[in-house]
Amino acid sequence: MEAAPVNVTKSAPLAAVGSFLGKYGLILVLLVMPVAFGIDDLRTDGNLTALGQNLVAGLSNGAIWALVAVGYTLVYGIIELINFAHGDVFMIGSFVAFGLYGVFGLTVATGALGLAVGLFAVLLVTMFATGSLNVLIERVGYRPLRGAPKLAPLITAVGFSFLLQNVGLLWLGGSQAGVPNLIDQAKVVFTVAGVDITRGDILALAATAPLVYLATTFIRKSRLDKAMRATAQDPEAARLMGINVDTTISLTFLLGGVLAGAAGLIYALYQTTVWFFQGFTAGLIAFTAAVMGGIGNLKGAVLGGLIIGCIQQISDNRVGQEWTPVIVFAYLILIMVFKPSGLLGEETREAG
Amino acid sequence: MLRNRKLAIGAVVSALALGLAACGSDDDDSGGGSSTGASAEEVTVYSSLPLQGASRPQTTAMVQGIKLALQQQGGKAGNTKVNYKSLDDSTASEGSWEAGQVSANARKAAQDDKAVVYIGEFNSGASAISIPLLNEGGVPQISPANTAVGLTTDEPGADKGEPEKYYPTGKRTYARIVPKDTIQGAALATVMKQDGCKSIFILNDKEVYGAGLAKNIENSAKEQGIAVEGNDPIEKTAANYRSLVSKINADCVVYSGITANNAVQLYKDLSAGLPNAKLYGPDGVAESGFADPKEKGIPASVGKKIKVSVATLDPDEYGPEGKAFFADFQKEYGERNPDPYAIYGYEAMKLALQSIENAGDDAGNRERVLEEIFKTKDRDSVLGTYSIDEDGDTTLTDYGIYKIEGGELVFDEKIQAAPTE
Repeated sequence: MEAAPVNVTKSAPLAAVGSFLGKYGLILVLLVMPVAFGIDDLRTDGNLTALGQNLVAGLSNGAIWALVAVGYTLVYGIIELINFAHGDVFMIGSFVAFGLYGVFGLTVATGALGLAVGLFAVLLVTMFATGSLNVLIERVGYRPLRGAPKLAPLITAVGFSFLLQNVGLLWLGGSQAGVPNLIDQAKVVFTVAGVDITRGDILALAATAPLVYLATTFIRKSRLDKAMRATAQDPEAARLMGINVDTTISLTFLLGGVLAGAAGLIYALYQTTVWFFQGFTAGLIAFTAAVMGGIGNLKGAVLGGLIIGCIQQISDNRVGQEWTPVIVFAYLILIMVFKPSGLLGEETREAG
Repeated sequence: MLRNRKLAIGAVVSALALGLAACGSDDDDSGGGSSTGASAEEVTVYSSLPLQGASRPQTTAMVQGIKLALQQQGGKAGNTKVNYKSLDDSTASEGSWEAGQVSANARKAAQDDKAVVYIGEFNSGASAISIPLLNEGGVPQISPANTAVGLTTDEPGADKGEPEKYYPTGKRTYARIVPKDTIQGAALATVMKQDGCKSIFILNDKEVYGAGLAKNIENSAKEQGIAVEGNDPIEKTAANYRSLVSKINADCVVYSGITANNAVQLYKDLSAGLPNAKLYGPDGVAESGFADPKEKGIPASVGKKIKVSVATLDPDEYGPEGKAFFADFQKEYGERNPDPYAIYGYEAMKLALQSIENAGDDAGNRERVLEEIFKTKDRDSVLGTYSIDEDGDTTLTDYGIYKIEGGELVFDEKIQAAPTE
């Protein structure tokens, strides 16, 4: 087949529009909804409080998606596998955390100090549990298939996803389970320009930011960074250079699992309802976030998570909840069309 | 994506269920082949209810009610021995009724020559699937809990093509002993009016039951002069409803749907986002799986703000038969305050047994039993005196309003509401 002829004789104004869209189109697309609703707010209420409320809710919800998305992007960045089980590892994180409430005797009546110490302990145990689980999944399901066609580990990933979902199903049953609202998450802490900031918001953002920062710093400062990039670029060459590829990949899964566990606990505290199916929904959204931000790119995953959180909340509030998934994925399509490598660019073997 | 997954699961489940049904039919044959139409010494009554998920405590109480009714008559209707088989129309993964499971149950009953009555389903959306299957099989069906209007009539709240589309043979085979949602909608509007609601917001779960009842509430509220600010659907899979709730300005909010569609999260977000709003719910959430924090339901602090309607009254509000039921139930199962639908499970079986007995020598003939069910006139029952009309609806209209206190549903008042036409 011949290559399609490229139209090189574009008229000047058209070309200008084209390059403008190429540069700023994405930002325009992303700003359409907030700007339109912001103008609407100004006209009807005379202020931007309602929009601000949407964005705060969006950022705190998005922070949880971001933590899950980082796990997706880490794994994809290094072995180019969409780890479908990742969302379910996150769900198991929530369940473990809920179980540990009971073990540590945490109830709504527990005092502030007890709660802080208890929750920190819950966080550590949960992160350990999900981190180990993720490493185990890699060891059992993906490592033996390293030389196999790419489809093989993809199928084991789907398999693990279903397996974990059914573990969750046996654990807490098929319905959404209310968990104790330990931190009284809806309590308003302070109000900025009419926008209420709740304890849940503060928790989600204050816990996510240091976790992501620690994870990225750990990767950058330790020798893992070089090892990971080398492994991602060319596993064979990395091995020849004396890098232990298997250990590097295991560490990556550990890191992803640890973050998923933290996200699981934050989710349980923030939503106060856990469900075996939450991992499927979260996984879909987090994967979308990772792609939106540029798969393999850690900052991109965080950005994607926050953006999707905001889109969801704005849509829930203004358009109607039945349209929210449609709008989220319409945005994904638009972003892919304008910038196929995602907002901040891919960082994978193929992308170089 | 989600839809596809559900379909896939549905397909697998129905395949499994078909396999099970095939195995089950062996047992049925072993009883000796008495064909429909001949006189029978033994007949079977099936029930199909969601025995897993959020409604489990409720349906467990219903099955206990059904068993109690049969046991009190020594397992017999007149001279005919009655066997009871309890089927589950839910799957663990759905946490509520599931289409494939419902149709498998309906087919199982339709293919069993000895089946003369099918008690079910619990959910209106599920009955929308089983009614046509049982209708074609000619199996008389009694629902102890369905309230959706469109299952029996085309009154307001029904969708286009309802109810005809459920009865392919053109003959009615379905009766229910719970007042339908034109009445429940009016009851909810009445209680909201009483409580001083000037404006309300309705949220529905998009199911046959939830979306239909939402329309009934809307109509009745408007008729009673209450402003309806909106009637929005919710997504079952949403992580939370915070921003959905923040757009509501009404002083009262009512959710029209079932517990399994994320009602616990919704009410928590409603309570947090609208601290001063009064909250209401229908019989879809009138169960301990919703009300009791120990059953993973809502916390007590949210429960205090909610009133729910269900067509069951306080034992004291019933006549002697009703009072006797609650005493017997407590004696048998040690439960003083059973989930509200226990009494409907009991009465569904009682009505089935009475109809089988009335059919006399033709007890094994589905058509005759069906005739007897539709002949029900001024029946003195635990629920009060009622008749079954030509649509299969009960003539009862009493709705009870319950408060939630410390995880328990506590009877508050009786509402007698006239349906909005």
